[in-house]
Amino acid sequence: MGYRIAVDTGGTFTDVVVADPHGHLFFSKGLTTPDRMFDGALEALKVAAEEIGVEVPRIIQDADVFVYGTTRATNAIIEKTTATTALFCTEGFPDVLTLREGGKLQPFNFRLPYPQPYVPRHLTFEIRERVDSQGNTLIALQEDSVAHAIAAARAAGAEAIAVSLLWSIANPEHEQRVRHLIEESWPGVPVTLSHQINPTIREYRRTSSTAIDASLKPLMQAHLTAIEADLAAAGFQGDLVVVTSAGGALTVSEVVSRPLHTVSSGPSMAPVAARAYADHDARTQNILVCDAGGTSFDVSLVQDGQIKRTRETWLGPKYQGHITGLSSVEVTSIGSGGGSIAWIDDGGLLNVGPASAGSVPGPACYGRGGTEPTVTDAAVVVGYFNPDHFLDGRLALDADAAREAIRSRVAEPLGIDETAAAEAILALANEAMIGAIREITVNQGVDPRECTLVAGGGAGGLNAVYLGRELGCPRVLIPASAGALSACGAQFSDIINDVTVSRFATTASFDHDSVNAVLEEIDERMDEFVRNLNTRADVAIDREYSVEARYPHQVWELDVPLDRGRVETEAEVAEIAARFHDVHERTFAVKEVGQAVECQYWRGRLTARLAKPRIHDREGAGPSPVTHRPAVFDGAVVPETPCYQGRTLPAGLSVPGPAIIEEPLTTIVIPPGTRARVMPSGSYLVDTDWSDDA
Amino acid sequence: MPDPTDTRARDRAPVDPVLLAVLANRMDSIVREMTNTLLRTGRSAILNTARDFSCSIVTADDRLLSAAEGLPIHIVGSDLLTRSMQRFHDDIREGDAFLHNDPYNGNTHHADHTILVPVFHDGVHLFTAVAKAHQADCGNAEPTTYAAHAKDIYEEGALNFPCVRVQREHKNIDDIIRMCRQRIRVPDQWYGDYLAALGAARIGERRLKELVKRYGPETIRNFCEEWFDYSERRMVQQISALPALTISGSGVHDPLPGLPDGIPVTVELTIKPDEGRIVADLTQNIDAVPNGMNLSEATALSSVIIGICNQLPTQVPHNDGSFRRIEVKLRENSVAGIPRHPTSCSVATTNVADRLINATQAAFAQLGEGFGLAEGALGQGPGFGVVSGRDTRSGDVPFINQVYFASSGGPGTPGEDGWLFYGIPVAAGLMFRDSVEVAEQKYPILVDEIRLLADTEGAGTFRGAPGARVSFGPLESPVTVAYTVDGNSRPPAGVRGGQATVPHDVHLIHPDGSWQELVTVGAVEVQPGQKIVSRTNGGGGYGPPEARDPLRVLDDVRNGFVSAERAREVYRVAVVDDAASGYVLSLAETERLRTSRR
Repeated sequence: MGYRIAVDTGGTFTDVVVADPHGHLFFSKGLTTPDRMFDGALEALKVAAEEIGVEVPRIIQDADVFVYGTTRATNAIIEKTTATTALFCTEGFPDVLTLREGGKLQPFNFRLPYPQPYVPRHLTFEIRERVDSQGNTLIALQEDSVAHAIAAARAAGAEAIAVSLLWSIANPEHEQRVRHLIEESWPGVPVTLSHQINPTIREYRRTSSTAIDASLKPLMQAHLTAIEADLAAAGFQGDLVVVTSAGGALTVSEVVSRPLHTVSSGPSMAPVAARAYADHDARTQNILVCDAGGTSFDVSLVQDGQIKRTRETWLGPKYQGHITGLSSVEVTSIGSGGGSIAWIDDGGLLNVGPASAGSVPGPACYGRGGTEPTVTDAAVVVGYFNPDHFLDGRLALDADAAREAIRSRVAEPLGIDETAAAEAILALANEAMIGAIREITVNQGVDPRECTLVAGGGAGGLNAVYLGRELGCPRVLIPASAGALSACGAQFSDIINDVTVSRFATTASFDHDSVNAVLEEIDERMDEFVRNLNTRADVAIDREYSVEARYPHQVWELDVPLDRGRVETEAEVAEIAARFHDVHERTFAVKEVGQAVECQYWRGRLTARLAKPRIHDREGAGPSPVTHRPAVFDGAVVPETPCYQGRTLPAGLSVPGPAIIEEPLTTIVIPPGTRARVMPSGSYLVDTDWSDDA
Repeated sequence: MPDPTDTRARDRAPVDPVLLAVLANRMDSIVREMTNTLLRTGRSAILNTARDFSCSIVTADDRLLSAAEGLPIHIVGSDLLTRSMQRFHDDIREGDAFLHNDPYNGNTHHADHTILVPVFHDGVHLFTAVAKAHQADCGNAEPTTYAAHAKDIYEEGALNFPCVRVQREHKNIDDIIRMCRQRIRVPDQWYGDYLAALGAARIGERRLKELVKRYGPETIRNFCEEWFDYSERRMVQQISALPALTISGSGVHDPLPGLPDGIPVTVELTIKPDEGRIVADLTQNIDAVPNGMNLSEATALSSVIIGICNQLPTQVPHNDGSFRRIEVKLRENSVAGIPRHPTSCSVATTNVADRLINATQAAFAQLGEGFGLAEGALGQGPGFGVVSGRDTRSGDVPFINQVYFASSGGPGTPGEDGWLFYGIPVAAGLMFRDSVEVAEQKYPILVDEIRLLADTEGAGTFRGAPGARVSFGPLESPVTVAYTVDGNSRPPAGVRGGQATVPHDVHLIHPDGSWQELVTVGAVEVQPGQKIVSRTNGGGGYGPPEARDPLRVLDDVRNGFVSAERAREVYRVAVVDDAASGYVLSLAETERLRTSRR
């Protein structure tokens, strides 16, 4: 096995994680170079190469796999720099993207602007045709309406075309013919067909997927082709794979034809890394993953080793952003982080966020002109952050500025002292995070008390143990890779391809032949994917099957796993029904035993498992100097709180709270009544309910 | 039994401000979890797609505590429901659930089945979890949940449940279930919806019990008082910023059979900034009318409160604490008051309620620039109608449900254009839109067109959202469409110089292409080959259109919401079609147009 290179490019930083042929991991960080991504990656790679003791060109030439994670697509949508895209829709329905699926937050607020459609009305063109729900053609495709749409789109300056016709999932012929006509008269313009990118019922979701995908094609094709060329020029002969929102990776050729899969891929890798460390350090497969940065807090979930997925991923706020429509790693994200600003409303109530001080001017304690009190300032005031040793000493914090901001903006208006005010800010920030965690767990029938909480990100260690304790998680894990959880996740990722086919079946009179024909089709499509994989890395292929099911008349499904890729016996049908009743009761408190169960979406997931790095034990820790400083826990000052330098702690050491552990990229707060254990890998496993005399 | 005085005690321990915010968020997330349960498990599309239901938490002494994003028309007055639960039952205990749809005892209308689950801690009743869901059918004589022409409860024909126990010891009382199954169309659909509402209320119960166990009943009680007080303070602040004035608002529902002048509604609002209080008087309204249009007590109260809250510039928490600053005077046996049995209130949640909301929010515009809202679109046309018939695609089975795929426009406001997918004032953009594909899969109908229409917006500095044209028809066998249009003879008006929108009308299109105008309130059996089409209202405009930002006008012309001619005539903005770059703004010409008018 050769090297394995994982690169995660964000808006500001590029994280690189290299696994050497022995599976040792090396981390480094550099600035992102938007003009030519490869330059930034190369710079960061140099740092890692130095640590490994091998030249960069050699590492690239000997690499089997290059895993590329990019926020390029997501950022292009946010910054509105995607291609000018035309939408071709069924005549009579030009307003699918404008009307969306309705819904609005804040019932009495009429001063919210109505969201703009992803493709404006003046770039939407109607095609005369109609298919019904059974796939029958009611109005044949009128080719002159297609010709007119093509000419009009071209005149309007379109650079890509999204084709989304009603019921193309029941009969795709019209969409296919439209593509043919476009290729004839306008060769080379990128086209996305709705039944191909997202074969699901509900025209808004499918159209939204189609429009977003088409708008990304010119940009992502150019971007990925350039990376591929740069890598080839550097002598790379391995597989270039790209991280997707499904928590896996796809080959470049696949991503170029459906770039939508890279949208919102940013947070999808944290649970992959967290899962690997939880398995290694805590021997558990049920985890809650919290990734806390400066401006956002992302929560995801792993159950029985499976990363939780959703079909409702919004770019921007729910109902007001744009839905991607794909099955993606479910991430509940809130705009809460170290930079969130605390403020008092006109009723005298304390609020934290959603406004953030960002990195400029930043929290008051950064000393860059910020005067608003933030969560970071509160952490300084209560003594959690060491002003002289923040980010490994790279950023000196101004504790007086933090105290002043909290005194004047929060403590005085509330009539409490600064410490109490700082604690209140932290508690309220925690509450928003608890709300986000409950949304992804209890709202879907998952009990957080049965999970280990895994925390990553720069702000992750600050309140991870507190969150775990409050939610009743018995253990909290802060992995050794906490500072670069996403790039690390790319090291542990696999190539994943999902195939979904819609076919109705009911357990009341199960049509085995029809369902098995669908499952066979899924197998064939997965076979084809394997044939095209053409990888030089060692892969093991896994296949899993599931079905989305519901009670009659319901329209939202729940996922039911299948034991194998065929349903042949009555016992297997009964098992589908039994599993559905159980999951329905767990999720929604009621079940209707005896009622038939309708099965709608049959799904196959092919995983090409790549060789993984191993998590190694950390080597020779030195003696452990302890310093002491006052810090506040549960309303009381602990004057002599012990503070440890994390990198010096020996494996097996037990650190009882109250204590603070300073790592280069994060600070871990261990409250009283909890205990951290230093694991051989360098991770910390914290028991949230622990007492001295136990 | 609870002692209602102990939660109102003034000498309680103060709740620290942090816990106050923590618990307030927690209550909202419990309601959201209830809401999610009902949406995901509901069987009829009006629940699982359009979300015509609401969940709330009420204290044991009958005060609304939290409703998150519930429909305001549903949740204001939740306390009336729990009050009747306590009045009718002196043996409430853990494991009970009650079914309530009685508009004479606090419910909105018969079609809203409400499940009430009392929540106990150590044998003491602390809260009631409430889940109210609009049914696809409620056993009415005609296949619609809006019996507009029924002259009383007997003609309506709905099954009435005056807060009856439907579960004891967490088990169904099958007598009630059997009654519903015998009288409600498509009983399996009803039973699934019943389970969905029950599940939502039980989820609320489960979470509330956990919360009380975690913090203790004393802390939770204190929290409730503090939260009510905080909410009240926020409302007082809003009201004390208003001028001391008495204003009145009015509106007239379109004519109906036997009511050639329509149904007038009026509200008088006395603003008392010194007291931080608004008094709304509805007692001047006419007596109850002999059809289904009368409001119930719950909807009369909520319509006024909604109209007031809609126009507040800042959001306040919506619960008993803020609502107690609004006093609503109602009169018995009035069309917008307290109905006497057997007066019919079948349509109490929409038409007259919508007129009253519009009248109230628009009245505030009299206070000056920056106050009030224009009127929003009116009437549930065929695209929001109840469809029924038999589905021959799957063995000739009956179906009935309200569809929700039309669109109509929201009102212009002091700082923003109207919300586009608005529905009607009581829905206020909160409801979800049916997917055409899901609707066509579930019912044997074919939708022809859903299109926003140019030049239908109420023009204004901030315009109303445009209306739409929606048409559909049966696939193979006839489909009955029941609908209740308003806004035809008197379309929603603008305020402060803003203009009215277009009339809402309904037509039948025959196979030969001819259009036949239909009555505005009725039920029509549409035959295969025919289409039923409605053109909905937009919203009224706010402020004079000639003061509108020309760039907004340009956007509207580009996107086909306003024609270039109308831009010139009404907005006094010159938008020209430039062959090379499409529509562009002519600033000089606009300047000339706008100054020449003065």
